[in-house]
Formats: sequence, structure tokens, C-alpha cells
Amino acid sequence: MGKLDDILELIKEGARTSKEIAERLEISAEEVEGIIKILESLGYVEKIEIGESCGSCPLKKICLGSCIIFKGNIYQMKK
Amino acid sequence: MNECHDLKYISKNKKQGLRVIALAGNPNVGKTTIFNGLTGLRQHVGNWPGVTVEKKEGILKYHDKEFLVIDLPGTYSLTASSIDELIARNFLLGSNADVVVDIVDSSSLMRNLFLTMEIFEMGIKNVIIALNKIDIAKKRGISFDVKKMEKVIGVPVIPTNAKSGEGVEELKAMISGMAEGKATTNPITPIYDEPIEQEIGHISGVLSETPLAQWYNVRWLAIKLLTRDQEVIKLVLNYLGPKKMDEILIHISELERYYKHPLDIVIANQKYEFIDKLMHQFVIHFGEVHETFSDCMDKILTHPLYGIFTLLGVFYLLFKFVFTIGTPLQEFLDNTFVSFGQLIAPHIGNETLRGLIVNGIIGGVGSVLSFFPLVFLLFVAMSILEDSGYMARAATVMEKIMRIFGLPGKSFIPMVLAFGCNVPAIMSTRTLEDERDRILTMLVNPLVPCSARMVVITFLTGVFFSKHKALVAVGIYAISLFLALLSALILGKFVIKGEESPFVMELPEYAIPSWKIALIHSWERSKEFLRKAGTVILFGSIAIWYLSSYPQAMGSGLSYAEKLGKVFEPFTMLMGLDWKAAVSLIFGIIAKENVIATYGVIYGIGENEEALIMLMRVAMTSLQAFVLALVTTLYIPCIATIGAIRAEGGNKWATVAVIYNLLLSSIIGVLVYNIGLFLGL
Ligand SMILES: Nc1nc2c(ncn2[C@@H]2O[C@H](COP(=O)(O)OP(=O)(O)OP(=O)(O)O)[C@@H](O)[C@H]2O)c(=O)[nH]1
Ligand SMILES: [Mg+2]
Repeated sequence: MGKLDDILELIKEGARTSKEIAERLEISAEEVEGIIKILESLGYVEKIEIGESCGSCPLKKICLGSCIIFKGNIYQMKK
Repeated sequence: MNECHDLKYISKNKKQGLRVIALAGNPNVGKTTIFNGLTGLRQHVGNWPGVTVEKKEGILKYHDKEFLVIDLPGTYSLTASSIDELIARNFLLGSNADVVVDIVDSSSLMRNLFLTMEIFEMGIKNVIIALNKIDIAKKRGISFDVKKMEKVIGVPVIPTNAKSGEGVEELKAMISGMAEGKATTNPITPIYDEPIEQEIGHISGVLSETPLAQWYNVRWLAIKLLTRDQEVIKLVLNYLGPKKMDEILIHISELERYYKHPLDIVIANQKYEFIDKLMHQFVIHFGEVHETFSDCMDKILTHPLYGIFTLLGVFYLLFKFVFTIGTPLQEFLDNTFVSFGQLIAPHIGNETLRGLIVNGIIGGVGSVLSFFPLVFLLFVAMSILEDSGYMARAATVMEKIMRIFGLPGKSFIPMVLAFGCNVPAIMSTRTLEDERDRILTMLVNPLVPCSARMVVITFLTGVFFSKHKALVAVGIYAISLFLALLSALILGKFVIKGEESPFVMELPEYAIPSWKIALIHSWERSKEFLRKAGTVILFGSIAIWYLSSYPQAMGSGLSYAEKLGKVFEPFTMLMGLDWKAAVSLIFGIIAKENVIATYGVIYGIGENEEALIMLMRVAMTSLQAFVLALVTTLYIPCIATIGAIRAEGGNKWATVAVIYNLLLSSIIGVLVYNIGLFLGL
């Protein structure tokens, strides 16, 4: 139907990175990422907060590890 | 003000007599930088009414005129799906601005113009486009015919580099001119498919006969109705009444059936296509789209086979770095603590107190503390890895492999989170609807070696091995990962694949890590390690010391610790571990570092004069040490993780999780030990 829809379809089919999608649609990864932002704003995907989720741990203070600073964003499809 | 204005936000500034300039645009395009360029230091920061979204206002002085500039929250569209969007939208709807400066990022114009079109569709005419980050566009080989762009888009376009200030003066002049009505514009708006246009026409016709037509652009209202915008539906309902509204909604449903999609995505698609066509009229060069170095790297790094080897290779180098630099420091510290103990021992008259301080506290806490350099270096190395953008690639590889192993995609996010910490990972299983999926994901999750487990692995290999430390550490890490994957396989077999909740990842650009940030970061993280040494491990060490010294000192066979250890020894001997290991594993339940602390105390009590690690390395064969390190890494999730499983799945599943981990690690321990014996290790 259009690029926005194509991208949603590819995500549903299991394409996992913006680069993979870019290759399949023969557009740049940046454009794919731009469209994902629009899709987010339209409420079709949502960003998963990875860093902050560590705040939920009661032992955060004494835990030896730390939240990985995960550069790069993960978007999850909304129903 | 009456209820008909309820979508609009009317700014108080309107009444102050100052002309208002609003800055709109996508997030991170340079709105605030331009805002600063326009207003200088004359600014005020507050909140938007009723919410904690920052509102920046400032005064722009141009010649002898003053304007009030307002920095709107950055948004990608003007649907009402987030508070930021709602603020920007309601502000723009309220005709509060005499001029709207739409700041677009010229290096990714397509998505930026999406918002521009939404602004135009509202019927706002006084718009100036600031074509910002023009320097970045230039670097990427993107160039524009600005005159043509103005003509096509229908409003003034000013190329800017907000960072250097280029174009800001021109922007000021244009703002001033437009605010005084000296500029005429004719913003272009998207045209949709015939069926949609027909329905827009129909709805607009109906709305034109209501008072709404005085306050809103009816085409905008019609489009928003088609997309089932809840705010607009509520507003229109007030004026049309339920009967007419139902009619419209029935039409919308028919259209949705025709397109087989909700209209918001259909309209967004067509808007996007419209922009695509527009761009071809004024973009001279779209920039190079050849395969970059980073694309090539990604092909290897995210390949399921090469990727996993690179992953192990990278972690090998990481451990190598940590041990090569850290071990001499660690040994130095360890010796220092031992000497310190010997130094102060003669000065403590009371025998019990001497035992407590020298053996308990210095022996236990000291042996753990001596690992501070290793921990710090590990964090430095991890920080650098994270900063370089590699972690996202590692996660992608893991996901691909998990998929091969049959793990349903929806369990991936908890798995990725687990590399940082298992607790948020387990909490995130909440998003899985199916009870079975959730429970199984929760059970497998603690097997993913979290960042704290990395520390424990570093620790244990540091103590038990004098050679090939990095290799051993990677080995333990790999076995851990393998078990997680194996469990994923089981998961895949037993979980009936329900509906997937797909996701997509944006790979960040590779970056050269900054040492400074890595060091600051690592210090922040390793401070926690010191704090932990001062609390959990201190109390642990005191407890261990007590249990090992009473009712009679160790060696007599009568101390509590020995008795306790001997109960479990027959079982742990199956994996070649004696009662000391059994005791240390029991204490390690509270915090895995206590495994080391226990050995520190036990050997301290034996009045040994040598540093702990020397003693440990003679006391155990490499195989035993490897098994102990492996089992320690795997045998139990940390207390917080158990707590999280309990909170999400109840007591029953928390118990099952603990038993599962214990069983699995025992089986692995026995297997590895016996295979090792068989191989003659
Ligand atoms: N190279 C370059 N960088 C720019 C330019 N304009 C802004 N930046 C940089 O882009 C980043 C974002 O700028 P901001 O002004 O904070 O963007 P913003 O639109 O206010 O961002 P949000 O408030 O988060 O929506 C900063 O690092 C700026 O220094 C430009 O014209 N060229
Ligand atoms: Mg800003």
C-alpha cells in the first residue's frame, strides 16, 4: 500500500533491524528510522525503555551490575 | 471562552500585546538551538499549564521591535497520542502564534515534512521553514534548490545552521516581516485518493454548517475524523449530535473495509507518498546511498554464525584486557591486606576480637576488596563496548540465534534486558499475555548472564586460575549463554506459539568511545561494588567467621561451618567439590561474592600467611576450580531476581525457578566434572 505499511508488514514478518528493512525496501536505513518515528507517533509501535527499567530493581543500590546502556532503540509493535 | 474551543489552548501572552512566534518541529532538529539564537539570554523556563512539560519563552529583539518566542515540544506528527503532541497541537490550533517557524532537519527531510504537512493541514498559513542542520546535509551530499522549494511548498524557506548561527539573521528578518503581514504564503496540502477526498468533501460540507467552521479548518477536522481521532470525535459530536455522527462513522467503516486498513495508516501512507513526490521537485542530490563501512561491519557482526564467534572473540578480548592489567594490581592489593592483617594482629589483645578483625573482616572483606581493580576495569571495558555501539549488534545476533533455537520472538525483549539485569527483564514478561509463555520466559531468564554475573565470572576466574584466565572466563560465559539458548529451545518446543508481538531495532552508528566517559561511568558503577563490600559482604564475612570459629575453631571438625558443609559434601563431591566449596556456595546465596569471602575467611583461620589466591590454586585442581566457578555463576538467581519472579508469578514459581537453577547447575557441574576427569584434565 505504501512505505509505512510495508515497514509494518516487514516487522510483522520478522525483520528485526532497520538495516534489514532498508535493504528489503531499497531505501536508506535513515528513512526507515524516520518512518518508524512516524509510526510511533501514530501509535503503531512503541519504544521500549531499556535503560530506565533498571530503576525497578530493589537491589539497584548494591547490585554489582548495571543496566546496559543500550545504544539504539527497540520499538515494539502495538496491538 | 465557551466549550467549542475545547481543543484549543489559548496562551495568556496573546493578551500582552506582543506578537507571538512559535517554534515547531520534530524532536532534536535544533529548535532550542534556534530559540537561543533568536532570543539570546532573554528567556524564561516554566511549565505548560497542568503538566510537567517544559515551556521555554523568550524575547526576540529585531531592530526596534520585540516578539515573544515560544519553543514548542518536539513531535513527529500532530495526532493526540502523547502529551507533547497534544500540547503542540492545541497550541497551534488556538491560533496563538502570529508566525510559526517550522524547523526541519535537512538531513532527514522526509520525516520532517510529515509534520510540516500536518501543520499546513490545520490551515495555518503564517509558516516559515527553517531548513536546519544544512551543514550535515551538505556533508552527506544532500543539496536543495531552495527557491524551487519555496515555490513548491508555498512558504518561505531559510537554510540555517543553528549551531554556527548561519541563517539566523535572515530568519529574524523573515519573522519580523511575516509578523507584520508583509509576506504572503500559500502552503501546499496533501491530496489523497479519490475515495478519501470524496469523504473529506462530504464531511467538510456537513461541518461547514456548524459553528465549528468559524474556529477550525473543516478539512482538518474531516481528516481527523477519518483517522478516528478521539478528541475530534468528541468535539464534533457536540455539534452534530449522535445521529449525524453515526452516519459519518458508518462511512468511515465502509472506507476502512475498502482499504482493509484503519484510515490513519492509509492517510499517513498517502501523505508520505505525497511528500516523496514533492521532494523530487526540489532536492537536487539525495545523497550517496552506497554501502558504507558500517554496513559491511553489520553484515558480519549480525550474521548468526560469524556474529556469535565475533561475540565470543570480543568478550575474550574484554576479559583479556581486564586480567592483563588488573591481575598485578589485584595481587598487590591482596598481599597488602594480608600484610596489614599480620601487622595489626599482635596489637589486638583480645583473642576473639583479633579473630574477628583479622580473619573475619580483613580476610573476608579484604579478599573481595582486592578485586576492585578487576571490577573497575571490567566496567571500563563494558562501557567502551556499549559506547561503541557494539551491544546492539550483539543483541541482534543473540536474537537471530534464539530464533533458530525456536524461542518465540516475544521472549526476546526480556532476554535482551537480562544482559543488563534480570529484574527488569522479568518484570517485562508482564507484556506476554499467555500465562505459559510468561512463566517459561521467567524461568529461562535468570540463565542469561547479567552484568553482575560478568563481575562474578571475572572474580572467580581471577581467584582460581593463574593461566588462561580470559579463556576460562569466556568459557563460563559461553556455557551460560548456551544454557540460556538450550532453555530457549525447550521453551520453543513447549510453548504453543501464540500471537507474536514483533519488534524492530535501530542499530546505532558505530562511535569511537570516549575514555573520559568510560572512566567516569565505571567509577559510578564500581562505587556500588565498594558499598556492597561494606555492607552485604562485611556482614557475610562476620557470619562466616562466627560459624567457622564456634563452638570450636575450624579443623576440629566441630565448627558449625564444617558441620554444615559436611551435610552437603556427599552431594557436591559428585562434581568434585569438598565441604569448603559447599559452605561457600551456601553463603553465596546471599551474594555471590561471598563465595570468595568464605574462602578468604576459611583460609585466614588456618593461620596461613600466604595470600588467598596462592592457597586457592593449590587447594583445588583447575577442573575443580572451573566447576566451582561455573556452578557459582549458575546455581541461583540473585535475591532480587527471585523476588521479581515471586512478584510476577507468585511463591510457587519463585520456588520452581530456584529449584530449576539448582538442578540445572548441579547437572552441568556433575557433567563438566566427569567429562573433565574422563579427558584427564
Ligand atoms: N551540525 C549541526 N548541529 C545542530 C544544528 N542545530 C542544532 N544542532 C545540534 O543538534 C542537537 C539538538 O539540538 P536542540 O536545539 O536541542 O534540538 P531540539 O529540537 O530543541 O530538541 P528537543 O527539544 O529534544 O526536541 C544539539 O546537539 C545541537 O547542537 C545545526 O544546524 N547543525
Ligand atoms: Mg529543545
